[in-house]
Amino acid sequence: MWLYLVRRMVLAIAIVAVAVTLLFTMIHMVPGDPATIMLGPRATPELREALRLRLGLDEPFVVQVGSFFLSVLTGDLGIDIVRDQPVADIVLRQLPYTVALVLSAIGWATLVGIPLGCFSAIRRNSLADKLIAVLSVSFIAIPYFVISIYTLLIFAVMLQWFPAIGVGEQGDIGSQIRHLVLPAFAVGISWVGYIARMVRASMLEVLGESHVRTARAFGLSEWRITFRYALPIAVLPTVTILGVGIGYLISSAVFAEIVFSRPGIGSLIYEAVGQRNYPVVMGGVLITTVLFVVSTTIADLVNAALDPRIREKL
Amino acid sequence: MKDNWGNRVMPLTRRNFLVQSLVFGGAVAMPAWAGKVLAADDGVLRARLYNDVNSLDPAIYQNAYNVDVMGLIYPKLIGYKPNSDKWEWQLEAAESIEQIDDTHIRFKLKPGLRWSGDFGEITAEDVKYSFERVLDPAIASPVAGDWGPLSHVELEDSHTGVIVLKEPFQPLWTVALPYGVGHIVCKKAVEAAGGGTFGMVPPKAFGGPYKLKEWRANEVTILERNEAWAGEPPAFDEVRLHPIADPQAGEIAFEAGDVDYTQPSAASLQRYKDSPPANASVADYPALFYVWVGMNTAHPKLSDKRVRQAVQHAINVPLIIEAAYFGVAPTATGIIAPGLPGHREETLVPPQGDPEKARALLAEAGVSDLELTLTVRNTATFTTIGQIIQANLQDVGIACKLNVLDSGAFWIVGMESEGEQWKDLQLVLNRFSSLADPYYATQWFITDQVGEWNWERFSNDRYDELHQQAVRETDLEKRSAMYREMQDLMEESGAYRFITHEVNAIMYRDFVKPAVRPDGIALYNHFRKA
Repeated sequence: MWLYLVRRMVLAIAIVAVAVTLLFTMIHMVPGDPATIMLGPRATPELREALRLRLGLDEPFVVQVGSFFLSVLTGDLGIDIVRDQPVADIVLRQLPYTVALVLSAIGWATLVGIPLGCFSAIRRNSLADKLIAVLSVSFIAIPYFVISIYTLLIFAVMLQWFPAIGVGEQGDIGSQIRHLVLPAFAVGISWVGYIARMVRASMLEVLGESHVRTARAFGLSEWRITFRYALPIAVLPTVTILGVGIGYLISSAVFAEIVFSRPGIGSLIYEAVGQRNYPVVMGGVLITTVLFVVSTTIADLVNAALDPRIREKL
Repeated sequence: MKDNWGNRVMPLTRRNFLVQSLVFGGAVAMPAWAGKVLAADDGVLRARLYNDVNSLDPAIYQNAYNVDVMGLIYPKLIGYKPNSDKWEWQLEAAESIEQIDDTHIRFKLKPGLRWSGDFGEITAEDVKYSFERVLDPAIASPVAGDWGPLSHVELEDSHTGVIVLKEPFQPLWTVALPYGVGHIVCKKAVEAAGGGTFGMVPPKAFGGPYKLKEWRANEVTILERNEAWAGEPPAFDEVRLHPIADPQAGEIAFEAGDVDYTQPSAASLQRYKDSPPANASVADYPALFYVWVGMNTAHPKLSDKRVRQAVQHAINVPLIIEAAYFGVAPTATGIIAPGLPGHREETLVPPQGDPEKARALLAEAGVSDLELTLTVRNTATFTTIGQIIQANLQDVGIACKLNVLDSGAFWIVGMESEGEQWKDLQLVLNRFSSLADPYYATQWFITDQVGEWNWERFSNDRYDELHQQAVRETDLEKRSAMYREMQDLMEESGAYRFITHEVNAIMYRDFVKPAVRPDGIALYNHFRKA
């Protein structure tokens, strides 16, 4: 187990290093001068040149990459030139909003998706199963931004059940939850369909296995067979997908953050790319890559905890 | 009732249906009532900012949204007169201000104006410090140019000073004093904080009607009443400015009751004017922006003036206004917007163009099978404009390809400092913002700006000479005539096809009495309750 953890850590560091280097390469290939954009039209060429020097843009590419990694090792993600504040502070202030959104979205999607998947498997080919199948595929097919906009129009504008923008009052959990409901709904709904379909397929496979037939032969109740013996095995692929899904949702959250005018890592990176604010782009992507790696590692560990066969292979 | 699996199921009887309908209906109605409470006057003004503030230092601020907030927390000697259809100024922190001669302006501060905290009275020393620090090379201000030829400020007593210019500068009255760099900061507080720039961490010495209570990045800027403010008390206890980049997201936030003041998009303006939301009003104003198609005169395909003029005559501006601005934006007659000195009443080339003349000009130039590239930014409005121009040019026999760039790549496309790509630039759809002085619009097209912001590489000695003269000219009519002539020269060069100045719209709750500049930009410090 410990060897497995060490291997995962080494792999995680490699993934982060490769992802960040690739991104560094890409943002330096894209045309656009941060000094021109940050200082605006009224700045003199001398001021722009001074800012380029301050950003280290005059250094060779390899030196810039090396400097970035050295700084990261000391916990320094650089300075946001636009706001004149440390990037680490800015990114870490935005991070909780994105994490809350992603966990809420995946959380409710899991809570609804798994029972729906089980129900469909148990009632295979019934009308309810077919209805859930249609709904699930529909949820998967509709893009996030379409869901977001219609969610806003229906629940914020027409019904005025929930606020349209922001994250709520500081220190007021009720207000923050109210502000989280619509974006979490919009981001999570396609995952309801996805999880439901996946759990259904896994359940059907497991329900057909010999140990389930044996359990039936022993006269165990269908409830016990389903939830005690079949579901823990059927849910394993879903756990793996959820780990990847959290990383995927971090990038999907950008739509919700923009449409619902929420602060968060996604909208921060989006804005920074437009401004060619390299330090913020790099800092934001570094943190999201780390989150992605951490979430997939946790998913693997949960899988190992749930399945003795995997645990034995570690 | 249970099924074969032991599931509890509720049969669909008439009674169950009615009960479920009542529960659902009640659930719908109650939050709807709660939501409407959000939109009522609770002493808080909630408004949309089109971007998050990123600098509250008047010496290094960049964009108009920062000025919106600075106007609430810092005093100015003079400010724009709210809700006037003319660009006029009025006294704010100054009790009096007068032009002694072409290069000297004496001001006297109102007595009893105070900074918040323990920073005492606002003095002429603060004014001197605020204005002169913008020129300090150590500050490296990107907006130092807004002060033009400012030399220094001489102090006469604690409340009186004289602003000394190196040469006459008319935009002092229309841009420098009433706008961004004209904000006064507390010398004692800034020096106590280290004396440099302070970006988003302003010293806690506020001299405006409000104090900065909290700034949460990308979320909200909260301002509260400044107890030290000696002027007319502000109408709202608190002002909350929410950064909402997309105007249509701002419209949704308004309709949901989350903001009380927003700026609808051109696409929604007519709909809101025809049918405004309940208890809300809508108004629109001519903006100061200018949108135009520029032509790189140094490009071999466009070096012949007749070819450029053919492009001018091919473009149908009213068609663009109808399709891209939904008919609500005015047609531009140049780079100087309506209401400013130098605004032209009409263009030399008719707005609807003249395809026949365009074809004749191309034939005269001996050009056929011409293919051009139009560079545009990747917004819906600009790509729509690009497509219409593409069709207009096709109509006169010019094939046109669109080169769509994101804003980061777009804003360097004509700059010599960014490599050789400026040489490939042919047509470019551009949009600049402006301020309340024509100098602000014309400064980008002088010869010194070629390869910098003058991407058309337009160079005209007469234009350059007029630009220098007009900025010093005190006679308004003569000054206006100069700016009109400058725009004639631009258009005659064939390098410009002016499209629109766009429109600024506002939408507000009926309990808000907004205060705006003639171009519809909010002056939040003058907002009142209706």
